[in-house]
Amino acid sequence: MTLLAAALLGGIGLVCALVLGVAAMTFAVEMDPREKLVLDLLPGANCGACGYAGCAAFAHALLENPETEMVCPAIHENDVKKISEILERKLASLGGMIASVCCKGTVKDVADNYIYEGPLECRAAQLIAGGSKACAYGCLGLGTCEQVCPFDAIHIGEDHLPYVDKEKCTGCGKCVIACPRHIIRLAPFDLPKCEVRCISKDSPKEVKKICSTGCIGCMACEQVCPFNAVTVMKNSAARITHTKCTGCGLCVKVCPVDVIESVIELKKASILKDKCNGCSICSQVCPVDAPKGELKNPYTIDEAKCMGCGICIDKCPKKAIEKRL
Amino acid sequence: MKKTFKGGVHLLEENFLVSSKTIVDMPLCPIYVLPVHQHVGTPCKPIVRQGDVVKKGQQIAEPAGYVSVAIHAPTSGKIKEIGPKIHPLTGRKSLSVVIESDGKDEWVDGLPLNRDPFSIGREKLVTMIQSSGIVGLGGATFPTHVKLSPSKEKKIDTLIINGVECDSHVADDHRLMVEHPEAVISGAKVIMSILGLNRSIIAIGKNKPDAIAIIREKVPPEIQLEPLEVKYPQGAERQLIKTLTGRDTPSGGLPMDIGCLVHNAGTCAAIWNAAAYGIPLIERITSVTGHGIVEPKNIRVKIGTLLKDVIEFCGGIKNPAKILFGGPMMGIAQYSLDVPVIKGTSGIVVLTQDEVSKSSYTACIACGRCVDFCPMQLNPSMLSRLGEKSMWEKALNFNLLDCIECGVCSYICPSNRPIKHFIRHLKTLEREAKSLYGK
Amino acid sequence: MENKLTVSSSPHIHTPEDIPWIMRQVIYALIPGALIGVYFFGIPAIKVILLSVFMCLGVEALTQKLIGKPITIRDGSAAVTGLLLAMNMPSGSAWWLVMLGACIAIILGKQVYGGLGNNPFNPALVARVFLLIAFPVQMTTWPQPRVFPLSLADTTTGATPLGSLKTAIFTYGKIGDSGNIALMDPFLGNIGGSLGEISALALIVGGIYLIMKKIISWHIPVVYVATVFVLTCLFWIINPGMYASPFLHITCGGLMLGAFFMATDMVTSPITNRGKIIFAAGCGIITVVIRLWGGYPEGVSFAILIMNGLVPLINRYTQPIKFGGVK
Repeated sequence: MTLLAAALLGGIGLVCALVLGVAAMTFAVEMDPREKLVLDLLPGANCGACGYAGCAAFAHALLENPETEMVCPAIHENDVKKISEILERKLASLGGMIASVCCKGTVKDVADNYIYEGPLECRAAQLIAGGSKACAYGCLGLGTCEQVCPFDAIHIGEDHLPYVDKEKCTGCGKCVIACPRHIIRLAPFDLPKCEVRCISKDSPKEVKKICSTGCIGCMACEQVCPFNAVTVMKNSAARITHTKCTGCGLCVKVCPVDVIESVIELKKASILKDKCNGCSICSQVCPVDAPKGELKNPYTIDEAKCMGCGICIDKCPKKAIEKRL
Repeated sequence: MKKTFKGGVHLLEENFLVSSKTIVDMPLCPIYVLPVHQHVGTPCKPIVRQGDVVKKGQQIAEPAGYVSVAIHAPTSGKIKEIGPKIHPLTGRKSLSVVIESDGKDEWVDGLPLNRDPFSIGREKLVTMIQSSGIVGLGGATFPTHVKLSPSKEKKIDTLIINGVECDSHVADDHRLMVEHPEAVISGAKVIMSILGLNRSIIAIGKNKPDAIAIIREKVPPEIQLEPLEVKYPQGAERQLIKTLTGRDTPSGGLPMDIGCLVHNAGTCAAIWNAAAYGIPLIERITSVTGHGIVEPKNIRVKIGTLLKDVIEFCGGIKNPAKILFGGPMMGIAQYSLDVPVIKGTSGIVVLTQDEVSKSSYTACIACGRCVDFCPMQLNPSMLSRLGEKSMWEKALNFNLLDCIECGVCSYICPSNRPIKHFIRHLKTLEREAKSLYGK
Repeated sequence: MENKLTVSSSPHIHTPEDIPWIMRQVIYALIPGALIGVYFFGIPAIKVILLSVFMCLGVEALTQKLIGKPITIRDGSAAVTGLLLAMNMPSGSAWWLVMLGACIAIILGKQVYGGLGNNPFNPALVARVFLLIAFPVQMTTWPQPRVFPLSLADTTTGATPLGSLKTAIFTYGKIGDSGNIALMDPFLGNIGGSLGEISALALIVGGIYLIMKKIISWHIPVVYVATVFVLTCLFWIINPGMYASPFLHITCGGLMLGAFFMATDMVTSPITNRGKIIFAAGCGIITVVIRLWGGYPEGVSFAILIMNGLVPLINRYTQPIKFGGVK
């Protein structure tokens, strides 16, 4: 009896396996083996930012059409190189991008026009009298960016503002499209050193009235910037030209409403004693008066003051100043 | 057989607050704000400058395109400013003309006229309706002249005058029909002469027996009176046509496609005023009501009057939670008292804290009430679930675009789900995607 | 203005008929059936009802607290589940059986899926079937009805009419005399069975109340009962010796309770009326198949649970036809 059952089940299994095996061979779809390799190199989040229906479709397109560009914003540069080798044609990477949120107005900073009732979805809230936040440009804080992010890289903090997780963000741009207030921007991964967290186009008077941390166009940042990287236009928040900005952080210090933030930590300068001849040029160029010393004697840098802007490094005739490691 | 349509709800009737109140004229106010975008279509273009002196009835903005109508000064005075002011429909700032009244309220030269509208001629009447700034006064504010110019292939055979007024609270059309029945009937006759019709129907809700009695007395034989069951949304175009003629407006089509045309009773009166007296649309009748208003009134108010002036005239507000432009089912909630009354403001309803539900919504329990009550026979339950996930592409399979946004589903939902809001959200996503990818 | 106004999408008014209102009406409608149970089974029945209702409320509050969700026992759905569960159990059930059932109903039947609205199966039925399979002896020990027994002591136990039928078929191969019972007894409730299923009359009264209040539509109960009636009638005509009369089938067992209160559960039944008809007919067919040829004497619970599983599929193929659409 037991034997019969075992034989029967085994038999059924064998027959099924045979049928499946034959079917797999007869109906097998011819697939370029390279497609699998390319697909493995793509991020695999199926976010759709490339415009194709997921990573597999994009991999297929890359192989089928030799004119397809590398439009995946989320892929790493090394992987682009590997795909280029597989496909034997040069693909240019879009460059690593990262999302950056341009609003600092928490619930405490900006008043609400009214009490909003309805779905907790920024795009839906925007439909009702333009969103409850008094500032027409500020973050609504209901977390649509968080919901649409395929990489779990943006989260609403306790102050109801979104924060980007730099480790996880791939710059796919989904949150940028979803945000009804257009406060999320993509920037090259390593470029921004300082960022203005405001995009208001209201008049300074209006901004002052509704937000305690909105850009009021006072021009202090533009005047203080040693590199001409900040521009303030009429009825528009200050903008930083990332290619010019060195991240010295002077604007961050002078901003009366704290709307400019340093994105990266800069290394401070230090003077090599044996090279310094005490010419005092560094103390003349330093915007914050950090180098201290007497003429003809080696200077020292006051670390508490130095922001690491690097102006003195460029100006020192003896090349006696270095960034501290 | 009882004339009705499938779906719809019986609302708690609150019209009694104002339904027996005589229309009173709102006194002159110091400031009038006129947004240039008060109708469906292209915003019109201001033709005055800051500092100009205008007279009552003078055109201050001209139509910019075919689906666009003019705007006129509601009183005499000086243009104080042309700049962004809060718009009652969008809640955002939009270009508006601000007029400072001089207190004289003088007509522009030549107005009002006294003429026989039936001798003017069709083409001229239609142009005159556009330049008089007339739009659908039921709340949709679709430019009337567009509806009166059907393409040649579409033969209109039935004109329906909509005096149903199915939203609770408001009673502006009701009072208009009781106090000025001849204006409504004469306006209807003007429309009939424009379209070359010899028959039309006037539909009135059965909750307005006095209006029915007066209209029955005055109505000429070529206009048929139809008292209709009180049900929301009986006043919606498609449902009204279905009830009166039994015709189904095709999905995605217009009433024009099945030979019908629906005009609001208030629009008819405005057409009569423009046709017979040359008076452009500078004032309208509005019900100021709700339990949050001290003295509910029906007022004849100039377009551009600020909400705070209206409220002051009606004795102020008590314990307000929501202030609506329009009835509670379709109205738009306001957050500021500095918004102006515009052409589509059929009512100003102030709801008190007790009337507004504060509880948040919960998961759909699939009770199917929204499906049973939906006048368009859609599946709002499914649409709201898709709306929660912003899945507009899938929602298209569930006839998203056929929704008329009457709000019955949200009203009836035991889970208090904002179904209409979800549907509007999905529709907006669909529209944005379409404009982005041109699908 | 000192206070900010509220702004939301229209409509700005809302029907007073919210979930707590609906659940209250369901409880009102169940009261006649429960009272009949108390009348015939006495104090133990009251104990089972109270224990089940309060246990369900408690378990719901506790699980929601543990998951960190808002506590929603005020919506009344847990109380309805508790009452339905009690009415689906023998009146002499031990306290631990009732408490276990309540835990199963709320936790496995509802909260694991995300709470009210997301559960694919009727929570009370999930618990009942679980108990029926796990504790078949306890769940089929039916106290016999007596006119309000005041004593707390054990009552005599016996079989339900459907149980007798099954026993007769298994023992003698035909139903014999077991099908001959006075039909007035199951109609009024003077039979053995679960606490709340014994009186068809009381349940019909409650069901009609719900239909009048427009909480349930007539489609499910009428089609369900009609399907069972027609099918059993067919077999009864063919072979009265093997199959009992259709009147016995529709009045006995859990059919009325199931048709009016369990199959009509909003969350787990189809959304359109066409879907409801298909759903109810399916319930009827499965019930009859289990009753006539299955191992269990009663099939209502299984039938409803099986059809609950098919609801998403039914919903998909019974979308409403839109206004102005193709007829």
